Amino acid sequence: MKRLGLVGLLLVLAAFLMVPPAFAASTPQLIIGAIYVGSVNDYGYNRSFHDALTEVAKNLPGIKLLEAENVPESADAEPVMENMIQQGAKLIFPTSFGHQEPAFNVSKRHPDVYFYHAGGWMQSANFGNYFGNTQTAWYPMGVAAGKMTKSNKLGFVIGIPIGFAVGNVNAFELGARSVNPKVQTIVVVTGGWSDKAKEAAAANALVDQGCDVVAMHVDSPATVIQTVEARGAMSIGFQSIEARVLAPKGWITGLGFTWASFFTDVAKSVIAGTFKAQSVHQGLEKGGMVAVAPFGASVPTNVRKLVTDSVASVANGFNPFTGPITDNTGVVQIKAGESWGGDKMGDFSWYVDGVVGKVK
Amino acid sequence: MTTSLFVGVFAGAILSGTSLLYATLGETIVERGGIVNLGLEGVLLVGASVGFAVTVATKSAWLGVAAAAIGGGLTNLLFGWLVIVRKANQLASGLAIMFFGVGASALIGGPYVGAVIAGLPKWRPSFLAALSWVKPTTLFNYDILVWCVVPIAVLVWWILFQTRWGLALRAAGESPTAVFASGRNPAVFQLQGLLVGGVLGGLGGAHLSLSLTLTWAEGMTAGRGFIAIALVIFSKWHPIRAIAGALIFGGAEALQLQLQARGAEISPFLLDMIPYVLTLLVLLAWGGAGRLAAPASLGRTFYGSE
Amino acid sequence: MSAERSIQGCRSFPVLRLSARYAGVAAIVLVVFAGVLLLAGKDPIKAYADTFRYSLANFYGFSELLVRMTPLILTAVAVAIPSRLGLINVGGEGQLFMGAWAATAAALLLPWLPVWILLPVVTVLGFAGGAFWAAIPGILRARKLVNETIATLLLNYVAPLIVSYFIFGPWRSAESSAYPQSPAFPEAARLPSLFNTRINFGLFIALTVLLAYWFLMEKTRWGVDMRSIGGNAEAAQRLGIPVATYVVVALAIGGGIAGLAGMEEVSGIHHHLTQGLSPGYGFTGFLIAWLAGGRPLGMLLMTFLFAVLISAGDILQISQGLPYSVVNILLAMILFVVLNRNFGGRWSK
Repeated sequence: MKRLGLVGLLLVLAAFLMVPPAFAASTPQLIIGAIYVGSVNDYGYNRSFHDALTEVAKNLPGIKLLEAENVPESADAEPVMENMIQQGAKLIFPTSFGHQEPAFNVSKRHPDVYFYHAGGWMQSANFGNYFGNTQTAWYPMGVAAGKMTKSNKLGFVIGIPIGFAVGNVNAFELGARSVNPKVQTIVVVTGGWSDKAKEAAAANALVDQGCDVVAMHVDSPATVIQTVEARGAMSIGFQSIEARVLAPKGWITGLGFTWASFFTDVAKSVIAGTFKAQSVHQGLEKGGMVAVAPFGASVPTNVRKLVTDSVASVANGFNPFTGPITDNTGVVQIKAGESWGGDKMGDFSWYVDGVVGKVK
Repeated sequence: MTTSLFVGVFAGAILSGTSLLYATLGETIVERGGIVNLGLEGVLLVGASVGFAVTVATKSAWLGVAAAAIGGGLTNLLFGWLVIVRKANQLASGLAIMFFGVGASALIGGPYVGAVIAGLPKWRPSFLAALSWVKPTTLFNYDILVWCVVPIAVLVWWILFQTRWGLALRAAGESPTAVFASGRNPAVFQLQGLLVGGVLGGLGGAHLSLSLTLTWAEGMTAGRGFIAIALVIFSKWHPIRAIAGALIFGGAEALQLQLQARGAEISPFLLDMIPYVLTLLVLLAWGGAGRLAAPASLGRTFYGSE
Repeated sequence: MSAERSIQGCRSFPVLRLSARYAGVAAIVLVVFAGVLLLAGKDPIKAYADTFRYSLANFYGFSELLVRMTPLILTAVAVAIPSRLGLINVGGEGQLFMGAWAATAAALLLPWLPVWILLPVVTVLGFAGGAFWAAIPGILRARKLVNETIATLLLNYVAPLIVSYFIFGPWRSAESSAYPQSPAFPEAARLPSLFNTRINFGLFIALTVLLAYWFLMEKTRWGVDMRSIGGNAEAAQRLGIPVATYVVVALAIGGGIAGLAGMEEVSGIHHHLTQGLSPGYGFTGFLIAWLAGGRPLGMLLMTFLFAVLISAGDILQISQGLPYSVVNILLAMILFVVLNRNFGGRWSK
């Protein structure tokens, strides 16, 4: 045992001393790093970023992409980003809400590396944030659901009740109410962005309660949509417009993210040296970050027209969060004449009237 | 048309509890033989990932179930080789199997994440489907794993308590020396118990990925393996009591989601604590007698005649 | 395991033989990992070179190793102390979370205190939280009600739920309703960091604890008493050693040290109470303590090895596209090899 140990030690030393010189095959123009909170094959949130970055790498010459999956939303994300910077990354995309603080800390240590964080608010010379205005985009989804429901009960599965998710629910209910005054939205929280077993149980619970249209804000819409489809209810998808293949009968419509054109602009600005950190929020407008999925076969023409009109009005600037808006405990949260803009979308701590649930 | 809270929770408990029950039955057999497998979580993960991968690759959920069973069995045999043949520490070996399962399942399932499967077909007897209070729910509309789990629990009981093999296995768990003295090798029975236990664990994992969620994600068992270990104790190492236990534990998870859907406000975290706290309270309630309910040689490695 | 043999073994271990033994493990690790990498279609030499370059030969990378080692040293000692009595503490995870919880309570409820009072209070409370959480199984075991392995294991899963309850409820941070965490720790409650890295004062706490553990076990009467209880509890009882008291105290102290790990994570690294505090530190600490047979120097070396492994996983995921899960398999294989050779001979229960 003793001899084996000494031989082992020598082998180890030899291996390290043989460190081969690291020369890159060809120097990339820009190395982009991206960290994901989950797996990129999730049919949902993480995949949308991965798809967009892959497109950027295809469209711009000399881009190298470094990706890390399952990066936790905590200080443990810092070493991952530092590693990417060590390997030459000059532009980092932290893609989950909870990556904000660790990313900001890393950005302070590396003023020559640029960061664009998805869904946050922090900003500095080399740290910007962006997100798709999903909240306003959920309004036309609500319109669709409000028209398609027969039980007047809509279900919504949320992972973690952060302000942005609550805002999505609120817009959904507001949109549904605008075409169907009797409609209710029931919210169930699973406690995590990606707990599949709980998502299935949550979807079942909603259908048990009589919801015949279910929407969701979790990392991947797949489990909820499949569970709901098996029970014969309808679904509205989120995160990825490809999810419609999962519900051939019950798919109404859905939202997805299209980051590619924004990412391409940012990458070009870094290469050209003209990077400017901003707070960018785009929505349903042409070339924006949010796209509407095609309609399902079962959606009648008059509903399609209503929804398309609603989409157009949102794209043209209609803001559903214009007062007076009362929450579901009777308190007026947005007064008449006021409206909440894109920068306040993370501040929702209340549900609108008509939503069954509490923001704990 | 809405279902009552009781029906909703009961239906949810059956769906959620099936994978728990399979895992518990498997671990019960193993522990009756005197071995503790802390790595049950790893076994479940291997079952879930292997089942999903094979289902996607062959487009057959049946093959997936079979593969999951085999995967679970092999994992448990690996554990058995460590603790029985190599006489290693059971706790450390269990943790090693847990790490192994986490890592191996991620590698096996990785290429298949996001694949869409039809899953195990569900079947509902028509005379039940006609009942108005049954039709809109998930009750009695189950895949084969759910339909079989209670009969399998009864089968496990019968094997453990009504066959000679079961007697020998339990004797190995109570007093390996006695078995050895009677001319047989307890290790043989323990290994066989581990194989059967692993198969059941694999089936538990398969139910999660092939029926409940129709997907694979790293770590998707979310601690079910450890809940099952608690459940084995809670049901006093008895397969029939495990059925009730699985319903209760599975129901706790369903309860908090059903309550939310009704607008009630109970913290989901407090409800999630129920399985563990309940098990501790039950152990307390037995007083010292709890230790008597366990197989006497549980956890000790048999060193042959010394 | 007779007390006599243990006493003998500890006193006369030449350092060279010790490090050769652990180097043997390290060599096995490297060979096995190379095999795994080859199977995954990757180049082992480049992988090792990358790991070396970015974690060992690199100031930031090396600092990250120390950051990782800090909680691991603590959770390993948390297992080692009760193990001297023959007790098995697999509850490090839960004790860590409860320590973090208690530390957060202090930081949030007493923010006006100056740093030279608040920080020690936070530290003491961190210890107390973990100690309390382990004392429960301790009392249960001392009264022969519940086996401590089971009790500590079950409580592991209750603690994170308690933390989540508080984060989503009474301690929900108003300033960022965007994601669930407690409000940020006031400056006075944060462990100071060193060298402009994430290494914090907690590293000194951890090393001090390790030193105290060695001193306690080797040089004090309590240590001798504990070893005799571990050897033969009945005989020790007859000699007049209050076994039940030792059981509770040992578990409580072990739990308290794990609680310190939680406090270090929350006060020195995250600065908030969050859900994702521990990527398995408690279980990893158990394995470290077990692999090292409870010997302090061995635990330090094993902690270093594990820290390198975890760092390697991160680095290789980025540079080689290797899924992080490979680290888990590697860990499992190391354990298989070690278990196979009955390395942890001292604990072969």
